[in-house]
This record gives sequence, structure tokens and C-alpha cells, in this order.
Amino acid sequence: MSISLSHLTKHYAKTHAVQDVSAEIKHGSLTAILGPSGSGKSTLLKLISGLERPDEGTVTIDGEDMTHVDPRHRDIGFCFQHYAPFRHMNVAKNVAFGLKVRKRPKKEIDERVGDLLSLVKLEGKAKSYPSQLSGGERQRMALARALAIEPRVLLLDEPFGALDAVVRAELRHWLKELHGQLHVTTVLVTHDQQEAMEVADQLIVMRAGRVVQSGNPLALYESPATDFVHEFLGPSTVFEGEVTRPHDLELVSVHLGQVKGRITSIVSLGFEAQVTVELSDGTSTWVQLSRNELSAMGLRVALLVGVRRREDVDG
Amino acid sequence: MPTDSLVRPTPSTLHSSPTQSGWRRVGSRLSLPFLMGGGGALIVGYLSIIVLLPIAALISHGLSIAVSTHGSGWAFWHWHVSFGFRAFWTAVSAPGSRSSIWLSLWLSFSVAAINAVMGVAIAWVLVRDRFFGRGFIDSVIDLPFALPTIVAGVVLLAIYGPSSPIHVDLFETWMGLMLALLFVTLPFSVRAVQPVLASLDLESEAAARTLGAGGLRTFFSIVMPSLWPSVLSGFGLAFARAVGEFGSISLIAGGIGRTTTASYYIFNLTAGFLWVDAAAVSTALLAISLVVLVTTNVVSRRFQKRLL
Amino acid sequence: MKTTSTWALRAVVLFYLGVLIGLPVTFLVVKALGHGFGPFWSEVTQPNALSALKLSLEVAAIAVPINAVVGVGAALLIARHKFVGKRVLDTLFDVPIAISPIIIGIALVLAYSKIGWFGAPLTRYGIKVLFSPLGIILATMSVSLPYVLRSILPVLTEVGEDQEQAARTLGAGRFRIFWNVTLPSIRWAVLYGVTLTIARTLGEFGAVLVVSGNITGVTQTLPIYIFDSWDQRFDVLGSYSGALVLALISIGVLAILAALKRREKNLLVDFA
Repeated sequence: MSISLSHLTKHYAKTHAVQDVSAEIKHGSLTAILGPSGSGKSTLLKLISGLERPDEGTVTIDGEDMTHVDPRHRDIGFCFQHYAPFRHMNVAKNVAFGLKVRKRPKKEIDERVGDLLSLVKLEGKAKSYPSQLSGGERQRMALARALAIEPRVLLLDEPFGALDAVVRAELRHWLKELHGQLHVTTVLVTHDQQEAMEVADQLIVMRAGRVVQSGNPLALYESPATDFVHEFLGPSTVFEGEVTRPHDLELVSVHLGQVKGRITSIVSLGFEAQVTVELSDGTSTWVQLSRNELSAMGLRVALLVGVRRREDVDG
Repeated sequence: MPTDSLVRPTPSTLHSSPTQSGWRRVGSRLSLPFLMGGGGALIVGYLSIIVLLPIAALISHGLSIAVSTHGSGWAFWHWHVSFGFRAFWTAVSAPGSRSSIWLSLWLSFSVAAINAVMGVAIAWVLVRDRFFGRGFIDSVIDLPFALPTIVAGVVLLAIYGPSSPIHVDLFETWMGLMLALLFVTLPFSVRAVQPVLASLDLESEAAARTLGAGGLRTFFSIVMPSLWPSVLSGFGLAFARAVGEFGSISLIAGGIGRTTTASYYIFNLTAGFLWVDAAAVSTALLAISLVVLVTTNVVSRRFQKRLL
Repeated sequence: MKTTSTWALRAVVLFYLGVLIGLPVTFLVVKALGHGFGPFWSEVTQPNALSALKLSLEVAAIAVPINAVVGVGAALLIARHKFVGKRVLDTLFDVPIAISPIIIGIALVLAYSKIGWFGAPLTRYGIKVLFSPLGIILATMSVSLPYVLRSILPVLTEVGEDQEQAARTLGAGRFRIFWNVTLPSIRWAVLYGVTLTIARTLGEFGAVLVVSGNITGVTQTLPIYIFDSWDQRFDVLGSYSGALVLALISIGVLAILAALKRREKNLLVDFA
């Protein structure tokens, strides 16, 4: 089910949360809407879901204009950052809710709930209450609940934001697998670029209510359209007036480099090292080196070095 | 939310506010300007004079409790406590007493029930809706609370009495009593529900919507389960208030008759200096109110905690 | 989204409130001032009316400060200390609200009047409770007991002891901590509670009726006067006029409460 957004605009009081946003989301894809807080990404997701109505523009799902259709009738599944569990119902009843509303027969509901709980690996927790589950389990329950109604589109609003790093990584991985299994068109909102890069096959980067760039994650990483995208998607530093990736730079003996500077700090992160160099023109840049490179070069603070791009050597 | 519980100081239901869970109770050495011992004693003494002793005296007279000693010595195992159950029962089961108690009970129950429903509706409009004059309406809800009950009585009689300008005469009718009681108990019903409604998680309702539930369905399946303990608590408060109400119904009730509530009946006993009988019926009324209030309080508190 | 159900609900609520509250208030004004301001004023300034007002104010002047001090003291005890019977103390304050004022009046009579428990010792010292201002004061203190406590306690609990402990480490003594740290943090709540107490004190009817014996000019508070005008003397205009005065005071009270609520909201946001 493809989604087509055309010139969407939404404002609250004096601010424009979403400004003239247009995008195409391919059928069966896992798209991440990425941006800093306040960029309008959550609002955009809510516009797609129908929980908010746009002031201008249209939302088209599978060729049908859904702009003014109530969320109940859009056939979407929605997962919230804080899971929005129905606290007074146990896990099974939570998952069954959408099916009960649709008046499915009890047998069918029980079966489907069982299948879904297996899918999200919560089989033993059917009778537990949300308060007895961990954060990760609650989000899996929320996912099962949203999938129960067999939605055309699955929308996730910062679904892993409230979880700790380890659980977040696990669930990211698991989500990607799930998507591979089910192939439901999925749209995920996040401010975590690593999450977006890992999980999505299509990226929409937003800033201040507008779409800055969209496309394949790797393409965006390698050819960012603006400095903002460059900085947001990965580590960045400024070299020779350009925004560059620190791992595209290298350090050489001070005689070989055209640009010279003095090392001001070395931070070793185990697998990599970040070396900050103050250049002769007064600016500062940092270079990312591998562990081996760091030990091979015998660098230390206050040493004079030369800085150059790695490509220069091959080119 | 403290602000909302400020809106109306209602009995201990305040303490089940969620904010309390994050605060640590410390039996600390941090002291008061007056010694805890001294100040505490003063407060207890004051409460005894104002509340404890009078209530004890009331119950003692009402149940005709007599304490005497027999045998030698003053030790408590020589005490003999007797209840004058016959006197108590005679006073309470007198026809006038029975009918007035019954009237108070079903009136209060009905009024508490009606305002339980209207309380939710009003709280909903105040919390979820936005319109010009909402703040004004919010303050107006407190009027029955701030207004002296006798003023309410005078005013209600003015509109719904014999010289009613809209030609609605409810003098000496149950409808008139009900209007007075609805007026007086309204703030209790609204304020019990309002803060809880305001603190509800909107995401759950949004989730229900995405799953296909309509407005009413969402209300009954998602909102009410979280809300009902506070509605029940408000019911208990409204009930107790209605049972004890006197000022606002004293005028519209007219003389002794079909519209004599328990409070009015008891008052008449005191006017005739029948203090012991008055104490007896009062004790009975107290017992009933206490049972209802404690039950609704306990139940509501238990279920309020579970949902947090 | 302003749907039909939104408008329907608004209509129902506004109608209900209009009939229950709006209508009565409007008619009170109409009835009291219907004959012009002159007659209203002469009713209000009648000697009996004035002495009733005076008594009401005197009783308030005694009952309110006492209940305020007790309320603050008890709140500090409950919020900052652990002791046996804390729950009981807390619940005790709720008793006056849950009980009919008539019953409170009777309870006081049965404790302190001639025929009561302490009747003998009190009369020996010439302390008269029934049919006297003292009885009215006792009754009023009883019914208006909890308001200050209930206003302060949640705030005191929410604010927590951190600031007080900080002051202690800086060397402040007990009284200074209370006066400069604790009290300012609850001042709007105190004002709120005091305002409610004043409203309750001026408006108390049932308990005072039982205790006072309703002696004109001596033991009539304003509410009793209003009742008496109507019930005994069919002095309708006198009744309405007195009622309007009290109603205006109540509305004034409400306005103050609303303003305080807004202040308190702002203050609490700081702590969030």
C-alpha cells in the first residue's frame, strides 16, 4: 500500500509544524522519517494516521484520498512512544481490542491473538497486565495489537525512544526481521540516525517542518544535499571549508601534508580514535582513525602533523 | 495533580493523588517552631474539644450508654457499660423518624447518582473542550460550595416556590428538595472527577481510535475504567453531603410532612428539647453515612491504585 | 474537531448549570433589588440585620485564625513527621465535612451545655454554651475545621523537604526555616484555605441554629437572621436583602479563589 503526501501543511498557533511537505512512500517499504525534535516528524506521522488533520494538502493511501477520513477507517496500525497500553486489560485483551471492535467471532479472535503473541514472542504473557511487563515487552504488545487488525500501513512514533540502549538495539533488529516477514508498508519516526540507517530502506529527513532530502539511506549518507543532512546523518567535521566525514581524512607526517596543524586531543574509543587537530589557519578539525592506525603512528598531544583527505592518495 | 486537588479540598481522597508516589515520606528530625510534642498536644486537645468529645457525647447519649462501677476499686475490669438499646430503638423506629430517614436515603442516593453522571459530563467539557467562558464556568461550579446554604434555600424558594416567576411551584415537593440537593452536591461530584480526567493518558484513547473504536466505545472501554473510582468517590461525598444537608431545604420543605428529611426531623426534635431522641436518630444517621462514605472511599482507593 | 457531539454535550451541560445555578442567582438579584436600591439598603441597615452581620464577623474573626493556625500546624505534623495515629489525625479532620451541621450542633450541646457531659463544671464557672455567642463560636470552628489543612497538605507534600534541609545546612534555625522557607512555599495554598474558611464561617447555618436558640439581636448570625426573616416574620424583602449580601460576599470569595488558583498553578509549574 503506497502512501502519497502532497503539499501537507499544518500549523499550531503561530508555528508551522509541517510546511508544504510532499513525499512518496513505496508499497512494502520500511521508511524512516528522521529529524531533530521539533522538526515536525511526529506531526507528519499523525497527519498520515488521521489523528491530526492538515490545514492544506492531501494524504493518499493506495490511490484513495484519505485526507479527511477518520483514523478508524484508514486501516492503519499505530504504535506510540509510550506504548499507550490499555492498563486495565491484560495482554490478550489488549491485542484483541481491534478485533472485538470489528465484531469478529470469539474463536477467530482467540486464534489470531495466539498467533500474534507467538509472532512477537509474548506467548507466556497473555494473562499478564501491562504494568507487569518490561518496556520492550510492552512495545511488542503494542505492535501485536496494531497488527491484529491487519492494517495496510504500520505507523510507529519513536517506538524505541523510551527504552535503554541494549533493548533498543534488539528491538530494531527484530523490527527489521518482522518487516522482512510481513512486508507491511511501515513508516517509522525517529531522531536516532543510527536507528534510521540500520532499519530503513527509505529515508525522509526533516527539519523545521520541511523535507530536506529523501531517498536511499546510503545515498543520503554519501551524497547529502545540505550541511545539515551531512551533520545529522553521521559524524562531521569541517576541512578546507567543506563539511567532511572524519573518516575520510587521515593524518600524515608534517612534511607530507599540505595542511598542517597541532594535535590538541586524542580520544580513544576502543575500536576507533578521534584525534582533534588545531590547524595553522586557526580552525579545528577532527580525524577518525582506526585502532591500528593510532598505535602505528605513535601520535601524542602537541605533535605537529599534516592532514589530508584519504582519496587524495588514490586519486 | 496538586493544583486540581486544591480546587476543592475534599476528604482523604486527596491522598491518592499520583504525585505522592514519587515523594519519600520521611520521619525527619526537621522540626517545627513549636516542639512537636507541645504543638501536637495542642492540636489534639483542640480537636478533642471541637470534634471528638462532642461526637462521643452524641453517641453516648444516643445509645444511652451508661458507665458505672461495681465492686470495689476503680480498675477498668470493675466497670460496667450498658447500652440503652430500647430507648435508642424507640426513637429511631418512630414513624416520623423512619419515614424521614428513608426519604433522606433515597433522595440522597438519587441526587448523588444524577450528579455522578452530570459531574462526568461537566468535568469532560471543562477539561477536554475549549470555548470562551470556560474559566468562568469552572469558577461557577464552586458557587454552591461557597454560598451559605440558607441563601441557596432562600433563592431556590424564590424561583421554585409559591410566588415563582416562572410558575413552577415546588414548595413542599420532593422535586424541590431534589433541586436543592443537586445544587448543593454538584461541586463534590465535579471536583472528584475533574483532576483524574485531566491526568488521563490521551495516547490510549488515540490508540483505540486507530484500532477502530468510535467516541462512545472509547469512552466506555478506555476512559471509564480509569475514571470510575473517582466517580464512586464523588458519589460517596455527594451522598454524605446530601444526607446531612439542612440549610437549603429548610425553607422549601415547608412544615412537617411528606417532605421532612432526616436532618429536618432531627432539628424539630431539638426545637422540642428532645435531646436524647435527637441524639439517637443522629447516631443512626451517622452510622449510615459512615458506612457509605468508608465503603466508597476504600473501594475507590483500592482500584485507583491498581491502575497507576 | 468540533463535532455535533461536542455541541450536544456543551448544550446539555450549559442547560443543566443554567437551571441549577444561573437561574437562582439571577433571580436573587432581581428579587432583592426589584424594589429599588433604597428599600434594599434600608433592609440591610436595620439594627437587627446589622447586629447579625456584626456577630457573624466577630465569630469569623475568632474562628478563622484559630483554624488557620491549627491547619498549618497539623499539616506540618502530617507531612513532615511519622507517628502513631497519623492516619487517624488526618481522618479526624474530615469528620466535620461528612456530618450534618445539625448533628454537630446537637453533639456540642450534649457535650458542653447544661445538660451535657461538662455541663456541671462549666456552669459552675459561669460558662454558658447553649444560647450564647460562645456556643456559636464553637459550632463555627467545628464546621470550618478542615479547609486550611486540606488546601495546604497536598502542596506541602509535593514541595518536599529539600528546601528546608538546604536551609538547615546553611545554619537556619527552626523558626527561621518555617517563616522564610516553608511558609512562603505554601502561602497561596494558605490563602486559599483561609478564604474557604471565611466563606464557610460566615455561611454556617444548621449547627449555629441548634446551638444558638435563635435569640434576636443576641445570638443571631446573618444566616440565622435571613432564615428568621422569612420563616418567622415573613419579611421577604429582608430575607432577600440579607441573602444578596451574603451571596455577594460568596461571589467575591469565588473571584479571589479563582485568582489564587491561577497563581498556584504558576507556582507549581516551577517545581515541575
